[in-house]
Amino acid sequence: MKVERLLWLGASVLVFAGFIYLWQLICDYRWVSPVFLPGPDRAWQALMRGMTQGDLLVRWIATIERMIYGWLLASLAGICLGAVIGSSERARAYIGPTLELMRPLPASAVVPLAIALLGLSETMVLAVIAFGGLWPMLLATVHGFSAVEPRLYEVSRALGLSRTAVIFKIALPSSMPDILAGMRLSLTVALILAVIGEMLASRDGLGSHIMLAARAFRSPDLFAGVILLGVTGLMSAMLLGWFESWMLRWRESR
Amino acid sequence: MLQIDKVNLTLGGHEILRDVSANIGSGEFVCVVGPSGCGKTTMLRLLAGLYQPSAGSVTYRGQRMLHPRQDIAIVFQDYGKALLPWRTAHGNVALAFEAMGAPREGRDDKIEQLLVKVGLGGQGKKYPNQLSGGMQQRLQIARCLAQSPAVLLMDEPFGALDAMTRQGLQDEVLSIVRDTGATAFFVTHDLEEAIYLGDRVIGMLPHPGRVAITVDVNLPYPRNQLTTREDPEFLRLRRQLFDFIKDAES
Repeated sequence: MKVERLLWLGASVLVFAGFIYLWQLICDYRWVSPVFLPGPDRAWQALMRGMTQGDLLVRWIATIERMIYGWLLASLAGICLGAVIGSSERARAYIGPTLELMRPLPASAVVPLAIALLGLSETMVLAVIAFGGLWPMLLATVHGFSAVEPRLYEVSRALGLSRTAVIFKIALPSSMPDILAGMRLSLTVALILAVIGEMLASRDGLGSHIMLAARAFRSPDLFAGVILLGVTGLMSAMLLGWFESWMLRWRESR
Repeated sequence: MLQIDKVNLTLGGHEILRDVSANIGSGEFVCVVGPSGCGKTTMLRLLAGLYQPSAGSVTYRGQRMLHPRQDIAIVFQDYGKALLPWRTAHGNVALAFEAMGAPREGRDDKIEQLLVKVGLGGQGKKYPNQLSGGMQQRLQIARCLAQSPAVLLMDEPFGALDAMTRQGLQDEVLSIVRDTGATAFFVTHDLEEAIYLGDRVIGMLPHPGRVAITVDVNLPYPRNQLTTREDPEFLRLRRQLFDFIKDAES
């Protein structure tokens, strides 16, 4: 079992190394102009330079902060709203169609509105992230709360649990798998929107870094930013994955 | 102690129960049998206060049952759905204490005692999906006992278990009920189980659900899986109820 897992890990590292090697080959043979595509060596150099001498690290942290704050805001709002809507059939009937209408709206489409209302400010960027991240959260929570085993509500009545106890001890933990799945989706959306928001509102961060590098044809810097975005996505997914398997440890059988 | 008086129940335009009356005395063990759709589970839910009758009344110690009470515990048939999968065995029993607002100190010991009582000693840290069906049902019974119930309502609690586990649990339920002096109302479709456990067996018929026969069981205690089941009286009662069910189905 353990050997098998190690082999799979080795295989995925090998694929990754192969991909980097291919990238290097493409650049060495100049199949794509180095103005647009720097090799991994130059991208890595730019990354290291930016981290040690430039302010890439500061920008990276700024982007991560935005992503996390927006994501937490979206999660909190999504769970609270979703709990209310999900636990009442009437609320679902009233609000459901409106939600379905709003959901497919791309969050970037509300950016002009957000700029008009909030200006090119930090608040605007956060609002856009939270708005975009809200939908997957909200829908997952609504689903989770509406799918609570009805028998458990009867058990709660028979035991005489209070209303708040039913929400926090029955409905919320029962919806946890859905909520965590929603948080995962919402985190990805939050990262994308943090970058878009930075680009549009030119807040200091990876988004503006990438855009400025692109405008100046500094492709190694651009790729350094993209690499950091990838690392951010990977790390956040891994952390959340651990958190999820810890929260849902009761699911592992035997 | 529990009284069902001329109860009619209509749900969603369907007449489920018609003119059902029954009287359950304190400390009595009453079993209900009948073909599916005869409303035996519905009767249990009325006694639990989960349903309200359309006509007639359900009373507990002279008071109308308007909502579930903490001293009336329900053992559901589908233990897999009635337990909280995200809580350990210990946590599932704790839920009952939390609902009662019982003091925190000494709670852990009480929970362990209850788990020992149902044969789950030392299994407190396991999650329901790590327990067998029989053990999950024991756990649900432990949670019900945590309510220190005066009445135990059981809805086909052993219906999904294999024969051996079933017999073991029958004896355990009998001894628990005798130890605690609780009143028991037990729904089953197994005639032998009903006679083995009950002081009295109520037979019901469907379309609409109604009480058709009541049989007193005069078998000696403690009951024994071998000798009780071979007792001529046991066989006579089994025959009587069997004929009743057969007539109902033909």
